[in-house]
Amino acid sequence: MNKSDIKLIIIIILIAIIVLSMIAILNDNSNKQALVYYDNKLVLTIDLSETEKKEYLVDGYNGVVKIIALDGKIKVDEEDSPLHLCSKQGFIEHSYETIVCLPNKVVIKIVSSKDNDLDTILR
Amino acid sequence: MTKKRKFKKGVILKLLFLLAVFILILLAIVFIFKKVTAIKYKEYTKTLNYMDTVIDIKIYSNNENEANTIISEIEKIYKHYHELTDRYNKYDDINNVYIINNTKEIAQLDIDKDLYEILNYSVNWYYKSNELFNINIGNLTDLWKKYRDNKTGIPTNDELYRLSGLDIKHIVLYNDNKILTGNVNLDLGGIAKGYATEVAHHYLKSIGFERYLINAGGTVLAGINSEGNKYKVGLQDPDNASAILKDGDKEIKLNLSNAIITSSGGYERFYEFNGVRYHHILNPNTKMPANNMKSVSVITDDAMLGDVMSTTLFLMSVEDGQKFIENFDNVEAIWYTNDNKVIKSSGVQKYE
Amino acid sequence: MEIKKISRISMLLALSVVLNILESFIPLFNGIIPGFKLGLANIVILLVIYTYSFKDALLISLLRVFLVGILRTGLFSMSFFFSLGGSIISIIVMYLAKKITKLSIIGVSIMGSVSHTLGQIIVAIIFYNINMIYYTAWALLLSLPTGILVGYLTKEIKKTLDLSIKW
Repeated sequence: MNKSDIKLIIIIILIAIIVLSMIAILNDNSNKQALVYYDNKLVLTIDLSETEKKEYLVDGYNGVVKIIALDGKIKVDEEDSPLHLCSKQGFIEHSYETIVCLPNKVVIKIVSSKDNDLDTILR
Repeated sequence: MTKKRKFKKGVILKLLFLLAVFILILLAIVFIFKKVTAIKYKEYTKTLNYMDTVIDIKIYSNNENEANTIISEIEKIYKHYHELTDRYNKYDDINNVYIINNTKEIAQLDIDKDLYEILNYSVNWYYKSNELFNINIGNLTDLWKKYRDNKTGIPTNDELYRLSGLDIKHIVLYNDNKILTGNVNLDLGGIAKGYATEVAHHYLKSIGFERYLINAGGTVLAGINSEGNKYKVGLQDPDNASAILKDGDKEIKLNLSNAIITSSGGYERFYEFNGVRYHHILNPNTKMPANNMKSVSVITDDAMLGDVMSTTLFLMSVEDGQKFIENFDNVEAIWYTNDNKVIKSSGVQKYE
Repeated sequence: MEIKKISRISMLLALSVVLNILESFIPLFNGIIPGFKLGLANIVILLVIYTYSFKDALLISLLRVFLVGILRTGLFSMSFFFSLGGSIISIIVMYLAKKITKLSIIGVSIMGSVSHTLGQIIVAIIFYNINMIYYTAWALLLSLPTGILVGYLTKEIKKTLDLSIKW
């Protein structure tokens, strides 16, 4: 390892810190919703403000994908894929986190639903 | 050659390094600045019941005392104007609309300066509105209310024809806050809420408070939200109280800050007889509920103007209204026609 | 000479496929970052860039992606395109890093590792519209140890091979 290598390592660490701190600054965790996509199409919207455990079933490419929402968090509980990567990923809860089930073509995103909400309705 | 190459190789990483450090420092500054200046605003709400409507007050403040003071001041304003403009009840120690309407002898009656101002403003508007906005229609209001309460038909042509006393000239005001009684029957339904809201608006401006949202049934006064941004306001669908009015298949959502929006429509108070809907906004000329449109909403920066404007536009045809608002600066309108079309004035798009 | 080269490249290709499949059995970081791998196959690619040429490295890499696609993940599946995007970008970046910077083989390996991750994320964003920025940052950080490891292994392997093989 020479001097340039060390510099490169430092640069990469700096960039990572920059990106992470940007996310921390810009992150908005209010009124969370989970959006579930199959093959790039929105198939399910789950309100994450409820604390009790709820189960959802979504059709994936290899069969049914079981999703569990609990206490503002969401995870893929069961799916059929060679490595089960997305069920191993466990719960996600922040609006920048994503669960991607490539073999099943299922993607779960968390978004802040604030933009869609009206503050008031003129009667 | 070798020297040049060496220089070139080194400088790329060096520049990248400097850039990264620079951005990092910048971000650190922004982050610290945000943390230091971030004031946690708490939401304070209160629901009032005045002027025959529900008034929702929402303010954001980091100071509980301040919040409570503001809310109680706003409540005082609405209560004050509620009592002044109430046609159906009298209150201790004030000469309100009830007293004016029910004083049968011809006499000069001392009234509160605030009530005098409303009456003066309203009478001026009668002429500005091509004689459509009339507050001396109490006789007509009472007649229709009788039928609305009983839900047993509508006033006969004869009754309507014989109905008199709607002339605005019967309202005689004296500069020293007096009104001539005996010949007037006032109904301030088309202005009271907007007027009180504008007084609250003035109060908020005078103390420099910006983070508020007041929904006074038909009039929304929007400051800025807890993050300093605009509020999103939807319009209620006149045909479906639980739905948002749609333009095509898109819900109308307006982004408002430091603005007011006020609606007039026949969907608030009405009754149905023989399958026809009879609502509470009456045209003083035809003596019938106005039926030019389903609703009209006005966006402007003055709640008094907004309230009388929406009432006036509701009494006009859509085409006349479109021409009428051109005489005013900073007034935009959204009409919802009887055949379910949404018509917007040209400036509405800047709120969408 | 030509036959010798073809056989060597074929062997290296086979090796990279085996390494690729082998490392998918090592459950590293599973559950933290989707699809994160050690990148052992990169040892072969790096070796080829340093001993043969950019073209040969690109050839081996592309063939590897297709072979792994046929053998495991399925040709033209989502994973296949992720792998393809990551591989092409990382080879170009490694080649440029070797050519225009003073980075050692370890630095070049880190660049390869980082750009492989970024390539995959770019594919994810462009083709599947998935917001992966959060993972980008962690993937960048995790690329460092794997890049260093791969670079170090390549350096040692090359040192050993240089003694016995005339490239």
